[in-house]
Amino acid sequence: MVTTTRESLWGWLDNLIARYPVIAPRRVEGVPLFRRIAAADEVAWDVLRTVVSPKAWLFPDSEVILEIEKRAGDVTLSEPPSAGEQILFAIRPCDARALRSLDAMLVDHSPPDVYFARRRRQVALVGLACRQPLVDCFCTSTGGAPDDPGDMDVMLYEIDKGYLVQAVTERGTSLLSGLTAAETGHAPPAPGSRGESRRMAFQTQVSVPEPAAWPAHFDDAYWARLADRCLGCRICTYVCPTCRCFDVRDYVTGAGPGIVQIQRLRAWDACLAETYRRAAGGHDPRPLKAQRLRNRFYCKFLYVPEDFGAIGCVGCGRCIAACPVNIDLSEVLAEVAQMVARRQQEQMEVFALPQTEGKVSERM
Amino acid sequence: MMDMTEMTEQIRVKARELLSKDEVACVIGYETGPRGIVRPFFAYEPDEADRLVWNDRCAHNLTTYLHDWKHPRGQSQMPPSVGIVVKACDARALNLLIQERQLTREWIYVIAVVCQGMRDGDGEEAPLQARCGRCAERTPVVHDVLVGEPTVTPARVDWSDVQALEVMTARERLAFWARQFDRCLRCYACRQACPGCYCYECLAEQVDPLWVGIGIDFSEKFFFHVMRAYHLAGRCVDCNECERVCPVNIPLSLLNRRIVREITELFDYTSGLSPDEPSPLTTFRPNEELTL
Amino acid sequence: MDTDFEPRIVGFLCNWCSYAGADMTGTSRIPYPPNIRIIRVPCSGRVNPLLVLKAFLEGADGVLVAGCHPGDCHYADGNFYAQRRYALMHRFLDYVGIEAGRLRVDWVSAAEGARFAEVVGELTHVVRTLGPWSGNRMGQDVTLPS
Repeated sequence: MVTTTRESLWGWLDNLIARYPVIAPRRVEGVPLFRRIAAADEVAWDVLRTVVSPKAWLFPDSEVILEIEKRAGDVTLSEPPSAGEQILFAIRPCDARALRSLDAMLVDHSPPDVYFARRRRQVALVGLACRQPLVDCFCTSTGGAPDDPGDMDVMLYEIDKGYLVQAVTERGTSLLSGLTAAETGHAPPAPGSRGESRRMAFQTQVSVPEPAAWPAHFDDAYWARLADRCLGCRICTYVCPTCRCFDVRDYVTGAGPGIVQIQRLRAWDACLAETYRRAAGGHDPRPLKAQRLRNRFYCKFLYVPEDFGAIGCVGCGRCIAACPVNIDLSEVLAEVAQMVARRQQEQMEVFALPQTEGKVSERM
Repeated sequence: MMDMTEMTEQIRVKARELLSKDEVACVIGYETGPRGIVRPFFAYEPDEADRLVWNDRCAHNLTTYLHDWKHPRGQSQMPPSVGIVVKACDARALNLLIQERQLTREWIYVIAVVCQGMRDGDGEEAPLQARCGRCAERTPVVHDVLVGEPTVTPARVDWSDVQALEVMTARERLAFWARQFDRCLRCYACRQACPGCYCYECLAEQVDPLWVGIGIDFSEKFFFHVMRAYHLAGRCVDCNECERVCPVNIPLSLLNRRIVREITELFDYTSGLSPDEPSPLTTFRPNEELTL
Repeated sequence: MDTDFEPRIVGFLCNWCSYAGADMTGTSRIPYPPNIRIIRVPCSGRVNPLLVLKAFLEGADGVLVAGCHPGDCHYADGNFYAQRRYALMHRFLDYVGIEAGRLRVDWVSAAEGARFAEVVGELTHVVRTLGPWSGNRMGQDVTLPS
């Protein structure tokens, strides 16, 4: 753990940029997004949260995963070359935590998503702790912390006149060689223990109902009412750091006498889209918008925890900010929590028994 | 000029009346959510009418939701009657959909509101949205009940946003659009928000014939946006919802408005002024000569 | 200007007038630039302007849409619709970065062999001067083996 000045950090960053592709928050026509940077002064340090999560650099919005050439009866398959090592710079703890969830969903089982896994192996994460939350962030409600270094290789904390720099992994340590330190020897802080984060007041705090509580409310009329204003676009899915559904298609890219060239392309898809689950023959298990919208929440808070043992939502708040009709995840969670509480209350009333003797069955 | 609190009250009273008498299944209007953000609201019970609001943050074009209500529901043979709150721009979209046989006028109760413009951001002094700043209509062209005093605004034609692009060379414009579309995610929010986009299967998602693949690259995005603008030619009512909902601030109205102006200049036509006038691209005048 | 550049031009020709006119050019032995690849359609009214857009995105540097003279359409009114669509689309394509000179919409009758050669010659010359359309395959590299 060392401190360093702004100049030293930027110098170190410029050196990194010379050696690796470095992706950091930038403003593109005013819109904060993770983009490749050519110099340290391109980083938009004041961006707390990009509109789209950085998962696009590990799980691109569209990518060629296979190239097929059929030439006079012979078939050759080739994979596009890997992009190589890259560094995600100034990534926030919520987004890094989301990558762990993506690991659970895409890598930690058989067969793994080799394309994501390869990029994941080759990426180094240089994290930046948040000094204040946005109005719609709620990472602490999902078990995260705004200054948690646990998922990073290197962690940066902004302090007066510079940064506190923490090497978290071996890869982080080797990345940091070349950084001029001002002082050394600070003990690594436990996540959430630094005074600043204790003082941070999160405007959005929700109690996330545990997975087991969700099935009982699947048929609640609430979901249809909520879906009334949903436009059925894909904004929430595409900005989300943990969503990972995709579509795969084969396209002919070239054809000549005796030769056909085909690309297998995969691209982001969204369970909210009307066409998402339409099958050949016209069958669709979720033909109604309300069913698709409900599925989004059930996937995040029931299916992902149950199927993968991972969290489906890190509380980054992007979907809340981006939804054009104010479908607010924190509001939905609060509503479900109320449904859960009401049901518990009802159950208490059903089974509340007066203090008399005799078998239960005799009284019922 | 009626103030917004009074207008809210009028809307609530009307909605309550419609719902109590079962004249409509639902009133589509606006409410303020727990974060203070105004959003669409669907009132089903008379008591829910009190959640309806009217203010200068009611930006959404609610007519797009009528596509969810144009088919029979449940055991009924007919689509339900619905009430809807519309501003001037929204009302033209309503006429468009009636003209295109998507909606039947008799089944819609139009609560039309005289609009003074929508604002972005917080506070009373927040700036008017750009589209409202150049709006030349305040009074909706169709109503069953009109909330607010009808005003006549002097005709104001402002194409300066489009002209700013036209002074560039075509090559510069291509670079401009390439830069804008670079951050497009194909989230389709623009399409979903637009009342004029209601194809059961959008061209951009068709597999056979294959117009565009699923890739999120320049070629696909360019095709999608130019295609969508072209499919709205002679139909777009210039409500600018597409631009407002875009999560990455692509200035989509610059595409649609160029065509809106062209339609005005070539055919002297404005979309949605009447539910009877057919769109200029579905008709022609015999022996007309147009410079191509 | 790249002197090695050979424009790739796609032509949508209506079967009854302009395609026949092009045929007449051939039978009259009137030379015209070989850059054009012709697609025969029943009527210019069938040519969806999005097909023109697609042609550009798939590698065309110029597009010709040719039909019967207005009033002489084999299907009576197809070209009147085409006229309206292209009056609009021509200007709009220029606005999004496809120079107006790259698209030519014209009327060529079955008897106008010489005129067809003239139209194609003019379009090829204009496109040659404009250069390749840089929106082609932007960001992609597609090569076919020779």
